[in-house]
Amino acid sequence: MKKFLTAICAMASASCALAQETTTSPLEISGSVDTYFKYDFAKNPLNGKTSFVTDHNSVSLGMIDIALKKKTGKASFVGELSFGPRGQSQSIPDAAAGGSSFNIQNLYVNYDFTDQFSMTAGYMGTFVGYEVISPVGNFNYSTSYLFTNGPFQNAGIKATYKFSDKVSLMAGLFNDWNVYSATRGVSAIGGQLMVAPVEGWTAYINALSGAGYGGYGTIIDLTTSYQITEKFKLGLNAANYDIKDSSVQGSYAGAALYPQYAVADAVTIGLRGEYFKAKAYGTTAATSTTAVTLTANVKSGGLTFIPEVRLDHNSDKPFFNKSGAIAPNAGQFSLAAVYAF
Amino acid sequence: MKYIILFLLVAFSIDLSAQQKQFSKDDNGKFIYYKVVDSQLLSKDTLLQRAKSFVNVVYKKSMKAESITDTSILAKGTMVIDKTILVAGHPSGEISYNFVFEARNGKYRFWLTDFLYIPYQRDRYGNFVATTRIGTPLERNPGKLNAGAWKDVVNSAYNKIDKFGEDFKKYLATNRVEKAKKKTETISTKKW
Repeated sequence: MKKFLTAICAMASASCALAQETTTSPLEISGSVDTYFKYDFAKNPLNGKTSFVTDHNSVSLGMIDIALKKKTGKASFVGELSFGPRGQSQSIPDAAAGGSSFNIQNLYVNYDFTDQFSMTAGYMGTFVGYEVISPVGNFNYSTSYLFTNGPFQNAGIKATYKFSDKVSLMAGLFNDWNVYSATRGVSAIGGQLMVAPVEGWTAYINALSGAGYGGYGTIIDLTTSYQITEKFKLGLNAANYDIKDSSVQGSYAGAALYPQYAVADAVTIGLRGEYFKAKAYGTTAATSTTAVTLTANVKSGGLTFIPEVRLDHNSDKPFFNKSGAIAPNAGQFSLAAVYAF
Repeated sequence: MKYIILFLLVAFSIDLSAQQKQFSKDDNGKFIYYKVVDSQLLSKDTLLQRAKSFVNVVYKKSMKAESITDTSILAKGTMVIDKTILVAGHPSGEISYNFVFEARNGKYRFWLTDFLYIPYQRDRYGNFVATTRIGTPLERNPGKLNAGAWKDVVNSAYNKIDKFGEDFKKYLATNRVEKAKKKTETISTKKW
């Protein structure tokens, strides 16, 4: 049976190979699936204040994610669908009839006018921030406060100019954050400067101003990572978001550091240390949280096994202890399995 | 009839699995793709000219000549390898290599070596990009956990390099001027 299928696939691949001699590249299919178990040391799921990984003491679903991409000449498209808690209500808006989501993470078209200049339009994952929705794109399975409070998607139109392999610039017009349709018109302007000063080091300086979470505001973000040696990588994310109307909740500032070390070919250990400040609004004072997350990635082919321990602290006691009383600390242990194909 | 078709498919697939070739190793234990080709009708200068054209024109987006002499070319290059899922797939990584070409009258040789693998990962926009700029030598033993996946990488790399080698040999054997002249032939239906 296996050889029969191998032969079928081989003949189909040969057909695809012949088709590749034209300017059309074949349809690309990729994706991931993930599942997790999390245990909150206070046995309270409300202690999870960041995105995803929300259940306590349960083998739970992440998402199944499938992406299609095709390029014909200078034009290409990407369509990415996701299903499951992480891929639906926890990351994309419920905008379809009956209060369900469209299941779309990315849906856009791109045109390469030249090798340096391209334009992209549609619904896209945000260019802001270090962490992303897909578990394949993050080292840690749980997410940071910076990720949770920042934009997830920016629908719009953008132009990118690549000056060289070391410098590129993007500028665009966008809808408000995390919506399929603009609620206040195409009223945000954004930009990204990418610099790669030395081999292995890439930095992105991002800015997005206009309609966003809580009204109109401006977010400035630095995202950078440096593969310093073959085994050691260091990442940094720092951001500041100010809403114009200071009486509205949602402004914040924070920074997170991501050192990672490969202890073996298949095993990498990483630490995320984060400081996050939710700024004051109206008569409500600011509040600050620090979080430390220790994570391992154990890889075998497409499968990554992710054990993780996380400790959060906020002296204003937003967490709960075992007896249900408010507490300044929270701790969680999780095990996740992510398969990328 | 269906059993005959099934037999042919099985026989074809067995033939396929037997044909998976592998890299040879050089004196230093590094993978090498090495070919010596007899090209008795062609002079050293013609071979060199065509090889230069191959590197600087045909493969200009993925190769860069480092040194050109009157008998040899040294170049560096990269090529993307794919992961196939049934009839579709996606880029899974890239292989960088060093390319050496040497020519004599009526004969030439070339080899590719110093293969480094850089894995790709899907970014936030659904595109595949390099996860690091530090490559892993293809000869490296990845350990038990990733042995299967690494074997697929090495096989994909070999297939791509082999295709490159065949394209290169075909290019050197082809007279571009005569091929261009052939394209201008037209057929007249007035006289027959």
